[in-house]
Amino acid sequence: MNNNQQKTNLKALLMKTEVSMVAIIGLIFILASVGTENFLTAYNLTNILKQCAIIGIISIAETYVIITGGIDISCGAVVGMSTLMVAMAQAKWGLGVPVSMVLGIVVAVIAGLFNAMLVYEFKVPAFVATLGSQTILRGLIKVISNGGTVSGIDKGFSGFASASFLFVPNLAIVWFVIAVICFLLLKYAIFGRNLFVLGSGEEVAKLNGISIRKTIYSTYAFAGLLYGIAGILLCARINSAIPTAGEAYETNAIAASVLGGASLAGGCGSVFGTVLGTILIILIDNVGTQFGIGAFVMQVITGCVIVIAIVIDQLKKRGKR
Amino acid sequence: MQSCFYDLNAERTSGTRLHSANPHILKTLGEKDMEQEVLLKIENVVKTYPGVQALKGISTTIRKGEVRALVGENGAGKSTLIKCIMGVEIPTEGKVEINVDGKWECPKNAIDAKNLGMHANYQNVNIAGNLSIAENYFLGRLPMKGRIVDWNTMYSESQKIIDKFQLNVNPRDTIVSLPVAMQAMITISKISVNDNIRLVIFDEPTALLENEKVETLFRYIKELKESGVSVIYVSHRLEEIMEICDSVTIMKDGTYVETKDVKDVDKDYLISKMVGRSMVDIYNIEHQKPGEELLRVENLTGEKFRNVSFSLRKGEILGFFGLVGAGRSEVMRAIFGVDRIESGKVFVKGEEVHLKSPKDAMLKGIGFLTEDRRKDGLALQQSVKLNTNMYSYDMISKYGIIDLAKETGRAEEYKEKVLIKTPTVEQTVNNLSGGNQQKVVIAKLLCRDPDILIFDEPTVGVDVGAKDEIFKIIENLIKQGKGVIIVSSYLPEAMGLSDRMIVMSEGRVSGSLENEELKQMEEEDVLKLASTIYYEDEQEVV
Repeated sequence: MNNNQQKTNLKALLMKTEVSMVAIIGLIFILASVGTENFLTAYNLTNILKQCAIIGIISIAETYVIITGGIDISCGAVVGMSTLMVAMAQAKWGLGVPVSMVLGIVVAVIAGLFNAMLVYEFKVPAFVATLGSQTILRGLIKVISNGGTVSGIDKGFSGFASASFLFVPNLAIVWFVIAVICFLLLKYAIFGRNLFVLGSGEEVAKLNGISIRKTIYSTYAFAGLLYGIAGILLCARINSAIPTAGEAYETNAIAASVLGGASLAGGCGSVFGTVLGTILIILIDNVGTQFGIGAFVMQVITGCVIVIAIVIDQLKKRGKR
Repeated sequence: MQSCFYDLNAERTSGTRLHSANPHILKTLGEKDMEQEVLLKIENVVKTYPGVQALKGISTTIRKGEVRALVGENGAGKSTLIKCIMGVEIPTEGKVEINVDGKWECPKNAIDAKNLGMHANYQNVNIAGNLSIAENYFLGRLPMKGRIVDWNTMYSESQKIIDKFQLNVNPRDTIVSLPVAMQAMITISKISVNDNIRLVIFDEPTALLENEKVETLFRYIKELKESGVSVIYVSHRLEEIMEICDSVTIMKDGTYVETKDVKDVDKDYLISKMVGRSMVDIYNIEHQKPGEELLRVENLTGEKFRNVSFSLRKGEILGFFGLVGAGRSEVMRAIFGVDRIESGKVFVKGEEVHLKSPKDAMLKGIGFLTEDRRKDGLALQQSVKLNTNMYSYDMISKYGIIDLAKETGRAEEYKEKVLIKTPTVEQTVNNLSGGNQQKVVIAKLLCRDPDILIFDEPTVGVDVGAKDEIFKIIENLIKQGKGVIIVSSYLPEAMGLSDRMIVMSEGRVSGSLENEELKQMEEEDVLKLASTIYYEDEQEVV
């Protein structure tokens, strides 16, 4: 009996998305370390972490939205807009670094509130609403920047992105801190619980005294806040604002969330899973390059990995029923 | 029906086509043969859902051209039986077979059933709302001219059906533009499009129809009967059964009671067979002496109910009974702040309240167990722990931060208190049986400790053991001085548990029974009250 219990516990543990993710990441890590010369170098590993950081922050925000049963495909454009605002403020409008950062965040939060308004007040499906705001923002970016690169960023500001603390890049530290805060919010805050209830069904949330309005607005605004932070970091990292900044980030963010166990039907997802999902996506890309696989082929491989993950997730759910 | 234009499906079905809709061919069979030939065999059908046995071995046979009524209270298993006949649900044990020109076939799914000539008209209208009437008629079998859709034929054939049923609509109209009653008629008339009809099931077809349309329906049923088609007719309206059916099968608590010829029975007999039952004692709970008033509702009017007034006192169980569509749940939803109130007043502990949202109602001490726990009572993919706490997180948190120890503690405590059978409180609610899910909903309400508890159909999809435990919880609640409202469409439950009872019919209170009155009432009398018919000018006719 006891033995059986242990067996089922072990099986349940292996069924957990996070555990299988860690195993896959570990496997790729070992293969790459043995198979290539340049993978296991300080330079490459810090590079991976830097790449992870910005996508990682966006993915966490995306996970929050997905848990409520929504989706946000405007995230790349919001990040791009925030990057542009920070750069314009510093380079063209002569504003200080702190003000430029506030500006970057405010713009992103406003975009989030706009999405929430479409979703809640006008009952536009989240996909369509955020597709709309993505297009608007991409257009605005080109109008404001006149389609060109904005350079002339504060040296100290961009220095932050290239600096490290005890071999850990600053960008990754920001990512970790945000991940921990977001993890705690989901675990300890009523707000976090409400996301899961809302994702289980609007009627359920409504009849259990949860304000759908408040929850949707705060979720999208909070996601906006994180996009704003990601935008600031991106501006510092590329030392400028380019019109295409943040393009296609939404694909990676959604993929990282789903790989980490979030369901597009809403009601499940975890910050830790998403962190692992981000690492996996970036890692596959990096290792592919190390093995000399071309960028075009890599895109195909990444796509396949995502599809396989989703199929496995569906099979697991069917098994439960 | 003409059959020249069914070009796609004709080939598939021509081999087995019975000329049922053509009376000329049928006459050659001879009246006698038709009388005796069995069309449908239902053999010892058992259907088990997790935690509930919905059907406990049903057997009956239906002859060709027979109109069979199926009666029983809500929860007797009629809908489940229909689903088993139509192949929508596969019976756990036993089988359903249909006679297809001498060969016995067993429908494996809904499409299969259709190909075998079995058609059902379900309670909830199942048509494509944004398409036209004509398109709905010919959905999946569009008339073709070569490789393109032959719209002219489709419209002219649709017009024939519309004329036959005297519907007075344009085949080009979209379904959504029609009133609900007309939509119901469209789904009924849609059946006549099919060309190899053997069996038609009507599930409460007249619930939405006015008298004139009911006559049209009855004419159609007679026509089906004359052409050798068998009909299963489910209705709460016993007068209709007396008028249109040949025989009647009575079901009770998922079991088969008996089948009688309609000419041998009357309404009173049917009702007594439907409600007679042996497990009366589970309703035998200790009642309390009612205390002060907790809730008073005056002339409440909403979209689906009018002028509803009642009050609830401490330690009291107030029953709410009515047939499907009587507006009981709607009244409760309005009180709980879910649906809009048009006029009327609600008082909680003597103070008038304006509850605009469920949250307002919760904070005023009202707890609401909804009719459909899977739809709005539980977050199904979440844990027992989250579901137990989700109604009252504000009570165990400070500045929006939850005390996790208390969260787990409460889940464990109520798991013991209301006897939720689950390995751990981390278990996903979806994996629990119906009875245990309902107990999670109750635990959720108890965590908030409300003074007024509204239980809407607390025992739907709950097995007998769990029912008994739920009644024990209710007994305990009134002992603590709570006021409990039990909404039920299951009469023995409503009568057995209530101190007083409100009977509703067509959105109005048709009876308000005090304690002594209620004790002397027979179930038949209450059923009559619940079938009170109101006309537009509010004249009452029983």
